[in-house]
Amino acid sequence: MQRNSWSVFLAVVVALAVLPSHVWAQEKVIKIGAIYPMTGRAGLYGMDSVAAMEMAMEEINAKGGVAGYKLDALSTDSKVKPDYSVRIAKRYIEEDKVHFLFGVVSSGVGLAVTEVSKQYKKIFIGTDHAATELTVDNFQPYYFRVSNNTFQSMAAGAIYLKELQAQKPWKRIAYIGPDYAYGHSQWNELRYCLDRLGVQYEVAGEHWPKLAQPDYTPFITTIMKDKPDILVSGFWGGDTVAFIKQAIPYGLLKNVLYFHPDAGGNYELMSSMGDELPDGLVLSARHHNNWPDTELNRKFVGDFFKRTGRYPSYAAEGAYAGVYAIAYAVEKVGNPDDADALVKALEGMKLKLPEDPEGFTSYMDPDTHQIVQMQAIGVTMPNADFPPAKKMLGNWKIYKAEDLLPPKEYIEMKRKK
Amino acid sequence: MDPSFLVIQGISGLTMAMILFLVASGLTLLFGVVNVFNFAHGSFYMLGAYFAYTFVSILGFNFWVSLLLAGVAAGAFGMLMEMLFLRRIYGRAEEAGFQILLTYSFILIIDDLVKMVWGTEYKSLQRPDGFSGSVELLGMVLPSYNLAIIVLGLLVAVGSWLVLSRTRGGRIARATAIDREMLSTLGVNVPLTLSLTFGIATALGGVAGALAAPLRSVTPGAGIEVIIDSLIVVVLGGMGNFWGALLGSLIIGEVTAFAVAFVPDWASLFSFLVMIVVLIFKPEGLFSPAKVRRA
Amino acid sequence: MESNKRGWTTQWAGIAVLALFALLPLVKTSDYQLTVANNVLLWAVFAMSFNMLFGVTGMLSFGQALYFGFGAYSVGLFAYYQGTWWFLPALFLGMAGSGILALLIGPLVLRLTGVYFTMLTLAFAQLGWGIVVKWYDFTNGDDGIQGIMPPAALSNKVVYYYFCLVLVSVSVWFLWRISRSPFGLMLRCIRQNPSRVRFLGRRVKRNQLRIYVISAVFTALAGGLMAGVDNSVHTGMWYWTTSGEVILMSILGGMGQFFGPFVGAAIMILIEDMVGARTEFWSMVIGIVMLTMVILLPKGVVGELVQLKERLFKRSSALGV
Repeated sequence: MQRNSWSVFLAVVVALAVLPSHVWAQEKVIKIGAIYPMTGRAGLYGMDSVAAMEMAMEEINAKGGVAGYKLDALSTDSKVKPDYSVRIAKRYIEEDKVHFLFGVVSSGVGLAVTEVSKQYKKIFIGTDHAATELTVDNFQPYYFRVSNNTFQSMAAGAIYLKELQAQKPWKRIAYIGPDYAYGHSQWNELRYCLDRLGVQYEVAGEHWPKLAQPDYTPFITTIMKDKPDILVSGFWGGDTVAFIKQAIPYGLLKNVLYFHPDAGGNYELMSSMGDELPDGLVLSARHHNNWPDTELNRKFVGDFFKRTGRYPSYAAEGAYAGVYAIAYAVEKVGNPDDADALVKALEGMKLKLPEDPEGFTSYMDPDTHQIVQMQAIGVTMPNADFPPAKKMLGNWKIYKAEDLLPPKEYIEMKRKK
Repeated sequence: MDPSFLVIQGISGLTMAMILFLVASGLTLLFGVVNVFNFAHGSFYMLGAYFAYTFVSILGFNFWVSLLLAGVAAGAFGMLMEMLFLRRIYGRAEEAGFQILLTYSFILIIDDLVKMVWGTEYKSLQRPDGFSGSVELLGMVLPSYNLAIIVLGLLVAVGSWLVLSRTRGGRIARATAIDREMLSTLGVNVPLTLSLTFGIATALGGVAGALAAPLRSVTPGAGIEVIIDSLIVVVLGGMGNFWGALLGSLIIGEVTAFAVAFVPDWASLFSFLVMIVVLIFKPEGLFSPAKVRRA
Repeated sequence: MESNKRGWTTQWAGIAVLALFALLPLVKTSDYQLTVANNVLLWAVFAMSFNMLFGVTGMLSFGQALYFGFGAYSVGLFAYYQGTWWFLPALFLGMAGSGILALLIGPLVLRLTGVYFTMLTLAFAQLGWGIVVKWYDFTNGDDGIQGIMPPAALSNKVVYYYFCLVLVSVSVWFLWRISRSPFGLMLRCIRQNPSRVRFLGRRVKRNQLRIYVISAVFTALAGGLMAGVDNSVHTGMWYWTTSGEVILMSILGGMGQFFGPFVGAAIMILIEDMVGARTEFWSMVIGIVMLTMVILLPKGVVGELVQLKERLFKRSSALGV
């Protein structure tokens, strides 16, 4: 018994130590080190991202790769822990000799990893985390983000609300969002943008449930007492689902316009709620499966479905874009080793992505290293084209990319701090 | 202040309290009878939700039947865990520490099992027929499913109390808490009692998860999110005390509900503040007569 | 006599292990190995100072993250607002601050025993976490603080590693002395039979408070040094899962052994990295490893090793060799 237990223990340790974590192919390879959550509530975002990342790499490799290089990637579960993710990033750089750090869903993890990227002068392609800080306050030259940040979503949201006010006067606005940086910065940015547009409004309550709060009923009844015209929501993922489910029987969503421009329109909300999802919610996300109706988007969504058996959440398109951004830069420079030349190349990047409508091409803003993209805000309505969802967004309002960037004085104010 | 708002807010708190109570009741039963701290109790809550989802959405069973089945399935899983693993560490020196480690390893294993079986996509369960709307009472809108949860929670409380105090099985369970050795000399199969208690406790957790599923999103990692709150409830009420757990849940539910309404900025900290205040002034919990303080 | 001999073995084993850590920079193949080793060292100090409460004195605190976070954030905040020159003073200020905080909280939590003590420590730590998350203007909330650099003299990774190693060695030595002193013996008595200690005319609570404060001070040291390893701090350091981790490390390594938590910390961190790098189902693998160890190694890794050694030793002497 005693000896047995030790041999089991030793066998496990030896097996772990000997098993290689990844065998790189012999040919010339661009190595990507991806950090995504793959367990817990954010797990879906990570799994979708990894699937889309692999899909993009296969597409590029099938066409012979870039500049004589094939793409290959490692991926590790971040567990949404910043300190652990820092360790992963260092392992990628020092042991696995990756050329690019890649991924990250949580902004807290993103901020910690961008620090590693800065020290080691390794390019970090951010694909899903949205905190504006990464491209403004904590900007560093080796960081690039290929999906919209919260400021862009909120700028589009503010214009939407301004236009709405012209048609159907509203005055009282309330906010509910998770009680951490992501939730707070959305609300601050929305109010900044509303003020900048000269919109007159009155705040009818701010609510800060903790992230993954299981029960929202007390919040819902409080919001109903305050009688706002518009309820802005800053949730993501399962929290959105839980909040909407609990709000339905109270009739809250009938009396108040539910407005959720950053992560609300994510496909997972539609897929998990089916026909329980009410009509008339105003939502957006960083990518939509049914907008824009372009060849590229149809192909992206279709291929993803073929690959995984499910339609993608927005995280997928960010990862897909990230791989293409890397391919773009390496193509320009000719090798994946010269980080400073790659930075230059990425700063001038123009890339046609699935979420670009006809006549527009996403491009990198050289000052903030933030990708510049259009944003579409839609309204929930019946549409069973992407099962199991029974409702999708429609009735789109499209906002020009240039109108959504943080103004110069905003960036200067934040960077000074 | 509109008085009907206070009532509505009170009922909001009650719904929250009842689900909390269902999770905590199993936990407190384990403390009381088996003398085990089941760190993985939240995982059974999560399993219950996934089982209910499978029975309703995939197999097409009736919701209430599924609720029962989800409880049974979670309970069976719990019994298995007790018989195969926990049983081996009873009576070991420093048992409490190993309980934590062992049940923690179950959190890790169940998390990945759920991911393997159900994937990472969010699952959602519709409210049962007849409970999807709301009733209007004196001008107040009250969702009927929330009311059903409150009634069910009270039924479970009364039912479990009856079982524990009025049946032979219940008496044996309570005796197990006091003196296992004596009981086994009297011819009671103590290991079986412990396993059954474990099964019932985890079944309660499973039912809680299944009952909450139509209101919440069914996601991986849901287990770890309820464990700390239910632990607070158990400690507030006095460890192993059934009615204490109910009182503890009501306090946490209502304090949170009114904190949300009146001090929204700090609402998320109130459950810990309540625990600090209670433990400083009444260290043995609100209900338990046991002496905990040292003179 | 017997225990004295055991004491010597442990001491030599400790010195040997620390010497191995000292050699690492010479044989490493990448800086990443230094990072991992540094993590092991600092978590080891954290776990060992926790075990002074748990394994030695019998107090299961579920709130040590409070002091770990406090140590890390004092370094982080000073470096952020005042510049890197403040790194070292902040490290010691954090230790002192933690000690004072423990002096204030200690008398409150020590009124309780058992699970109630555990839960009250948890509540205070969670309150601390809540304040750090909420006090956005000062602490940066959930974003954490980045860009925390040790002062220029320590900015080299190897130098910083040795700096940590020296402080860790001093801490381990200090904790070892405590655990072997009459005070340490008293703490063990308190775990086994507090009323007898009282009958003997000794004060239980004063001794408990003393070790509670000492534990907090070393925990803060580990936290502060960690800020320099990651160059960032984050609110997760204050969260209950952090407190949970050292509990797991101590039990895994063997809470009855002085070096148990050290070994537990090394095992947890190495497994986390090795398994995490190889499979997305790390949680299942770690869970099964933990489960197996609980069932098969009831004394923790170090405890079982000691037993194995004793058995082998006895066997050979029985043979009359």
